[in-house]
Amino acid sequence: MKNFKKYLLLVVAGLAFVSCSDDGDNPVANNVTLSFNNTFKNSTIVLGNATSASATANTSAAGQVHHFSELKYVISNIRLVKADGTEIPYNVNDLDKGAAVIDQAKAASLNYVLSNIPSATYKQIKFGLGVKTDLNTLDEVRFPVFYATAGANDTEMHWEWGTGYRFTKIEGFYDTDNKQLSIHTGSTVSGTMGDSATYVQGVDAYRDITLDLTTNAVVGKNAPKITIKADFDKLLSGKINTITLSSTGMNANATPSVHTAANMVKYVDNIGGNGSSDVKGMFSVENVEN
Amino acid sequence: MKKLIGILLLSLWFVSCSSEESDRVTIDNPEISMEIPAGFPEVNVSFTTNKPTQYGVELGAKLFSDKRFSANNTVSCASCHIPTSAFADHNPQAIGIENRVGLRNTPSLQNLAFLQFYNWDGNKLQLENQPLVPIITHEEMDSSILEVIGKIQGDATYKDLFDKAFGDENITPERIYKSIAQFEYTLISANSKYDKVKRNEAAFAETEAKGYAVFQQKCVSCHSTELFTDQSFRNIGFPINTDTNEAGRARVTGNMEDYMRFRVPSLRNVALTAPYGSFGQFASLEAVLDYFDKGVLDAENLDAIFKKNGNKISLSTTEKVQLIAFLNTLTDEQFLKKQ
Repeated sequence: MKNFKKYLLLVVAGLAFVSCSDDGDNPVANNVTLSFNNTFKNSTIVLGNATSASATANTSAAGQVHHFSELKYVISNIRLVKADGTEIPYNVNDLDKGAAVIDQAKAASLNYVLSNIPSATYKQIKFGLGVKTDLNTLDEVRFPVFYATAGANDTEMHWEWGTGYRFTKIEGFYDTDNKQLSIHTGSTVSGTMGDSATYVQGVDAYRDITLDLTTNAVVGKNAPKITIKADFDKLLSGKINTITLSSTGMNANATPSVHTAANMVKYVDNIGGNGSSDVKGMFSVENVEN
Repeated sequence: MKKLIGILLLSLWFVSCSSEESDRVTIDNPEISMEIPAGFPEVNVSFTTNKPTQYGVELGAKLFSDKRFSANNTVSCASCHIPTSAFADHNPQAIGIENRVGLRNTPSLQNLAFLQFYNWDGNKLQLENQPLVPIITHEEMDSSILEVIGKIQGDATYKDLFDKAFGDENITPERIYKSIAQFEYTLISANSKYDKVKRNEAAFAETEAKGYAVFQQKCVSCHSTELFTDQSFRNIGFPINTDTNEAGRARVTGNMEDYMRFRVPSLRNVALTAPYGSFGQFASLEAVLDYFDKGVLDAENLDAIFKKNGNKISLSTTEKVQLIAFLNTLTDEQFLKKQ
């Protein structure tokens, strides 16, 4: 027993040394904050109702002036890539700990803190716009926190009929007479979860984004902040599609109200890229503060 | 120290002992033998992995009519899927809690084990994946599955039924979905006058027989098989639901070729399920037939059969009467009485 006490003392002493070095110059891990700057080109978006004078107005490539009253999107599947190419996944299979609803109306939601990121130099960030199909099932038992956050009355990011999450929800107005614009995106894929070979119908609206950091993020004694710009000018004037909002019907270039998979992919590709020639969509890294 | 270990071991023994004690005689929960009616198509694969059992069905039936599935305890599955109306209702569009109006007309529920697509747009391929939709939809029950479980888990009858159906008292979302689907799989309607005629147990009246002939000439290319649907999706030029949430089959596929295409509905028990159309555009069968006869809306993806026939199905007044007489023979009194 005496010996045991001795050992215990040694262990405790050892722990003290470890924690001591933790407090020092080189912690094993630290936070990384992702700060989302939602813009029209270079202007941070100010939301507003139909006749708002303060709302940020934007003009599309097709010449349609528009502004938003609501702007939300889901980020998940976040991975940081070290300078040597190693990928550090951040709770990629846990929506409660690794997914967020970015809501332009809620300032706090614009900064998402990744905790306990291993100390290292990072050169790239990857994340998903939306939720991967295998997790996109509105599973309240598995992810009660994210289910509740996304489903809150002031958030409405459940896509009930598709039993998945809304990936983006944009409400706003277009043209000089302020006609309503309402664009919701989400997946309608059916099949066996996680087995893409069995996806027999529907659209996968999840988009994987890869962004090179403008400056390497050095996680260690500092907790870097990565500012990601989401330029919603791309929604209508993207790399993939130039969209003209027009009356409903199957021949319209794009309807101003998208609440189904019909016509949706044009918008999804513009803001989230097409997964092949464009893996950035509307996103870019604005700066990295170490 | 030895004493401590002794106590520990002893308590472990008690634990294992008591768990053995709760291992009572396994409850007999036999599969329900379901007679597949002659000429019915193949079952959905999901049915083969969730075959109805005695207590699974009993549980599903109870859940189906439990109003606690809705946020304010006013709406159950059976509120819209009214058993005596072939599990449809009589509103143009379904009405959920607080009189909220849904997007579409409530479809009847029968012979679901033989369908490969569910709902007007076929967005669900397995019946087990469907119950969550009305539970969480704002215009239907506006609840959540954990809210539902919270309300029913103290109920002794449910505890007993979950135990008998699944081997223990745990109420899980999957068990709820499976038992409701099991109940729905047992809703087989194949004993109408039409069926009896087919089996040489009855004979059509003259008008009915003529109506059947008209049906075979002008309707059967879509309302085919013993289910009276070929389970395809078609745009047949019905008046359009301008709700932005409606795109027909394209809502799911994103393919504009599917815009305003809907699943061909079964005609079994059709006399009981007015109004008709994806959002109840037609008050009666007469109104549907009159519309077909006058001509439907044109569309780029209008069904080829309509395009070939000048966007209409020509029907004389007599033919309409005969057709409706035939459609009435698809009413299955025994199926309705059972409910």
